[in-house]
Amino acid sequence: MRKKFKIYKPFINAGLQEATTYRANWIFFMLGNILGCFVSYFIWNAVFISSGGENLNGFTMPQMVVYIFLMFLTTSLISSGGTYDIGEEIRDGSIAMRMIKPISYNATFLFQEIGNKIMTICVLIIPMVIGVEICRTVFMGSVQFNIAGFLLYIVSCVFAYLINFFFNICFGFIAFIIKYLWGANMMKNCIVGFLSGSVIPLSFLPDILERIFLFLPFASLNYTPVMIYMGMYSGLELLFYMGLQLFWVMAFWGLSKLLWHIATKRLCVQGG
Amino acid sequence: MIYVENLKKEFKKVIKDPGLKGSIKALFHPKKEIITAVDDISFHVPKGEILGFIGPNGAGKSTVIKMLTGILTPTSGECRINGKIPQNDRQNYVKEIGVVFGQRTQLWWDLPLTETYSVLKEIYEVEESAFKKRMAFLNEVLELDDFIKSPVRTLSLGQRMRADIAASLLHSPKVLFLDEPTIGLDVVVKDNIRNAITKINAEENTTVILTTHDISDIELLCKRIVMIDKGKNVFDGDLHELKTKYGQMRELTFETDTRDVKNVLSYKEHFGFADDDFSIEADGSLVKIRFNSAVVPVSEMLSYTLQKISVKDMSVKEADIEEIIRRLYKQGV
Repeated sequence: MRKKFKIYKPFINAGLQEATTYRANWIFFMLGNILGCFVSYFIWNAVFISSGGENLNGFTMPQMVVYIFLMFLTTSLISSGGTYDIGEEIRDGSIAMRMIKPISYNATFLFQEIGNKIMTICVLIIPMVIGVEICRTVFMGSVQFNIAGFLLYIVSCVFAYLINFFFNICFGFIAFIIKYLWGANMMKNCIVGFLSGSVIPLSFLPDILERIFLFLPFASLNYTPVMIYMGMYSGLELLFYMGLQLFWVMAFWGLSKLLWHIATKRLCVQGG
Repeated sequence: MIYVENLKKEFKKVIKDPGLKGSIKALFHPKKEIITAVDDISFHVPKGEILGFIGPNGAGKSTVIKMLTGILTPTSGECRINGKIPQNDRQNYVKEIGVVFGQRTQLWWDLPLTETYSVLKEIYEVEESAFKKRMAFLNEVLELDDFIKSPVRTLSLGQRMRADIAASLLHSPKVLFLDEPTIGLDVVVKDNIRNAITKINAEENTTVILTTHDISDIELLCKRIVMIDKGKNVFDGDLHELKTKYGQMRELTFETDTRDVKNVLSYKEHFGFADDDFSIEADGSLVKIRFNSAVVPVSEMLSYTLQKISVKDMSVKEADIEEIIRRLYKQGV
């Protein structure tokens, strides 16, 4: 295990160094996301004002604000570019260069991305959490921060990231068949955005749909960690949803192994 | 060391009719065709040999290399290297080989070169002391020192290729695959790379498989060549044999005042040459004739020429390997 980690540790380093190489790109990307965040804030604000009620499907406006910003934080933390990266490597054929190394294809992506993510985590998590907590304190009138809840949130985020990572890897392998993934990726992002509750909270949906969606892997991505942070789950419910996350991690991990095995058999390297 | 038996690779390809209409048609009713990129190729390379693997563009060279390196799975047939089948246990197998694809890089694009080497050191589990020794050696042969601290994206092609070759040699592989390692390089860098290959081969008895379009690479490095065309093996033997077998072409060059030489001298009718055995080019007073000396001896060609016209200057040259290969490519044997 330690030996394995020693092999993949340089990938974390390299990922971090890559992230720091294109700082400006990273800053603009984050700024764009934050702007998007404010757009959804104003939309929800309008919704609440026009509805005239205090409470919409179990959410008050202050809770909605917290939800929006937590959703942004969670999405940034668990995002995974595996689909795009694999698609590109298949499209230009550079996947060959990874295959001539005595390493696991998936693992190199995972560790490189973790390295890439370190900067996001360091820069984003503290100010976002402080901001959200100030909001909650002001709205509720007392400090809401709960260290156990926060730690559970982090654990849940790790699960969510792994689900997202392996799901994206699986999806990326489709490129072996259709060769170029850009369109399919756009479609996937839209669907996942809706099913994972990052566009609207799942509790806004009709009851039957909500129940179905909660069991799908996508709710385990964003919705579960945010609900945990907001203290919406407790006791058995908490255990169940985290267990479900773990189940999906294992399922997609297994599936990615299987697909890799199949894909390499029919691989054709494009371009020379 | 390397055994390749009846290796075959087929690809499915979607055929598209020309134009936008064809594209739309192909979108809904793709017409598929099976293309055989590699068709029943067998060869065997003993340890320590440098094998030149040549053939025209699209002959299937790279596809063979990709199967030998475990990237592609053959449709049928088998390759066995160091007793291992590349596709069966890829991760273990690739520990023993080094690969360079001239048109791609295995270096980390955004990181300084040294970082790539330290990543490779961990991947291949090279000991610190062995790594230092190896780097010193590679530095000396490939002259990496000038640019080892620069990010890879800032390197020139020649520098990048040297760096890539060093990367493939870091773990002292038993077999080295070089797919067009000298593509697009200047003479100095080519020399540098050839020296490195020769040195590694001599000192470590590394088996090398080299594909190239540069004939001097082959003449300087390889004793033996395998030539393929349209996926089929067309020649397998040593360079010397190729020269004696197909090297009967001579080049006769002379200068003359006679105008319209092509009509005055009717070699083809006189000697009854086949199309492949004879060609003539006239450029002003300079005339260049290529002919097969196995069909007509050089002396007869000379006396016929001298009888017909007055010649100022004259030379006869043995065909070089490039000429032989050009002929082989053309006729596909």
